[in-house]
Amino acid sequence: MSLSPDQVRRIATLARLAITDGQAAAYGPQISAILAHMDTLRTLNLDGVEPLTHISEATNRLDPDLPGPSLPPAALIAMAPDAMPPFVKVPKVLGDGGGA
Amino acid sequence: MPRIQSVQLKVGLEVHVELATRTKMFSRCPSPAHPEFDGAEPNSLIDPVVLALPGALPVMNRAAIEMAMMVGLALNCSIAERTKWDRKSYFYPDLPKGYQISQYDLPLCFDGAVDVPATDDKGFIIPDAEPARIGIIRAHLEEDAGKLLHEAPGGGAIDFSIVDWNRAGTPLLEIVTQPDFTHADQVLSFARMLRNICRFLGVTEGIMQKGHIRFEPNINTILTLDDGRTATTPITEVKNLNSFKALRGAIEHELREQPRRWLGDGREMGAGQKRTMGWDDARQQTSIQREKEDAHDYRYFPDPDLLPVVISRAWRDEVAARLPELPLARQKRYMEMYALAAKEAAALVEERDVCLLCEAAIDAMQRRGMDAPRAGRAAANFILQSGAKRANERDVLISDLGITGDEIAQIALLREEGKLSAAGADELFGILCEPGRPPAGAATLGVPERDVETLAGDRGLLIIRDDAALDRWCDEVIAKNDKVAADVRAGKAAAIGRLVGEVVKLAAAQGQRVDAKVVRDELAKKLGVSEPRR
Repeated sequence: MSLSPDQVRRIATLARLAITDGQAAAYGPQISAILAHMDTLRTLNLDGVEPLTHISEATNRLDPDLPGPSLPPAALIAMAPDAMPPFVKVPKVLGDGGGA
Repeated sequence: MPRIQSVQLKVGLEVHVELATRTKMFSRCPSPAHPEFDGAEPNSLIDPVVLALPGALPVMNRAAIEMAMMVGLALNCSIAERTKWDRKSYFYPDLPKGYQISQYDLPLCFDGAVDVPATDDKGFIIPDAEPARIGIIRAHLEEDAGKLLHEAPGGGAIDFSIVDWNRAGTPLLEIVTQPDFTHADQVLSFARMLRNICRFLGVTEGIMQKGHIRFEPNINTILTLDDGRTATTPITEVKNLNSFKALRGAIEHELREQPRRWLGDGREMGAGQKRTMGWDDARQQTSIQREKEDAHDYRYFPDPDLLPVVISRAWRDEVAARLPELPLARQKRYMEMYALAAKEAAALVEERDVCLLCEAAIDAMQRRGMDAPRAGRAAANFILQSGAKRANERDVLISDLGITGDEIAQIALLREEGKLSAAGADELFGILCEPGRPPAGAATLGVPERDVETLAGDRGLLIIRDDAALDRWCDEVIAKNDKVAADVRAGKAAAIGRLVGEVVKLAAAQGQRVDAKVVRDELAKKLGVSEPRR
């Protein structure tokens, strides 16, 4: 079964991607094929196999808590599309944010 | 329509603690949660990682992981042998990356529990009451977001928002409890205890006004109906409470409102019924937060930029060995070593700095030859009476009054030696709290510290032990008050107080201070009665 164009549009919205109706129609079968492959993988017997949490074998890349340099605020303001120094201007938003 | 017979509160708590590392969670950019960088200019604590500039890669902060382990261990959590990082998709301008790095399925700490002592509504521990066991589901690390402002600095109206990314990337420990709380008092008791534990651990200063600790209660109620059924009201999550008062207010408000809402709409707990509310401090009520419908569709996935963290037994043990004695353990020790009442011991450990002041005073007393029980009792009395009184008047912590542990010890010794009356000792305590005195440790800076006994002498507080004069004054007062003296002899023990007062007055008229306790003993001896019960 293929994802409907509406489902594709919802995923695109969540990812902040603008897509055309033609793309929504085309991506449906493609995403569905990927998900179908996941289902194939799911049939494997993984008893006793440790989940792979990272593609690299390495672990514990940790830094000591020693402050390094900051960027000057002016560098940020120069990069910002719009600013009210020392702040960066953004479109009006409500609330405290979604997750943090 | 059935009627509600009784209402049972049910609360689970999410707590965000900003860890006071010097640098951020995933870069060595200075962090505003550390006192060293607190109050930095807006957008001055930024670097390529914080701003998500192309090519910038995160590197974990070892100190943040160890602080989080310490809190987890203090909450009796298991520490994961292997933990990893996940991206929580989150498009909001307070985090420039478009996601927050968090931990989804393998949190650093999990399955803990703490016993919360029963307290009354003023936060005082009720001795001998059964503590409530609160389960800790998990405590995981993540990064904080920046701050969005919707007014110009100073309060001017703006038709856009502005952002300060100093806080973005600060290490944040999110602690999630089981919904085990059944009373607002319990939640408050836990919240205070957790703040205090974190302060003892040194992982945060815990200044609520600065947002170092934020609470998000999940609140609902179970209604018992008169037809024998029960109804469970939908959960309300109240976001970002940064004071104990707001936390209590939000819970009590929901406890009142949820049964009323149920009577109105009959809605019960279930999929899609949970609401997210904000807290309006001015009106003391919760209000619906407008949220986009997909706000909770976070689409977590493992962060490929960060390696997993493996915590060996040796590392865990090394961090565990650094845990200081925690407040509840200190409280028990004070009760055993110093024979303090539960309430007194609890009051002493309630604030880290007050507790450390008390311990410094006890140490100094013991160094000067007092035994432990007497030293503990004397320090507790001075801190909880003379200290608490003045701290209340000045609205500061007892530890911020300016008096040092060594000075408290010197007062206690003068009192023990009978050189100060109770009132004189309290007055001297007050003098040592006066602003403008040389600071503690001034001697090391070459400023002479005043000797407490000399100071007491200068202020006329020292009792001159003149036994001959005392003898004379007592005889004179007994002679002048023969009826009262007869009452005392006849067994009216309380009447002796009047005679004591007369002797104190007589001495004062001659410019002398006498210790009421010494006078009382002397009078009792002269009147042939055993020392009255005090």
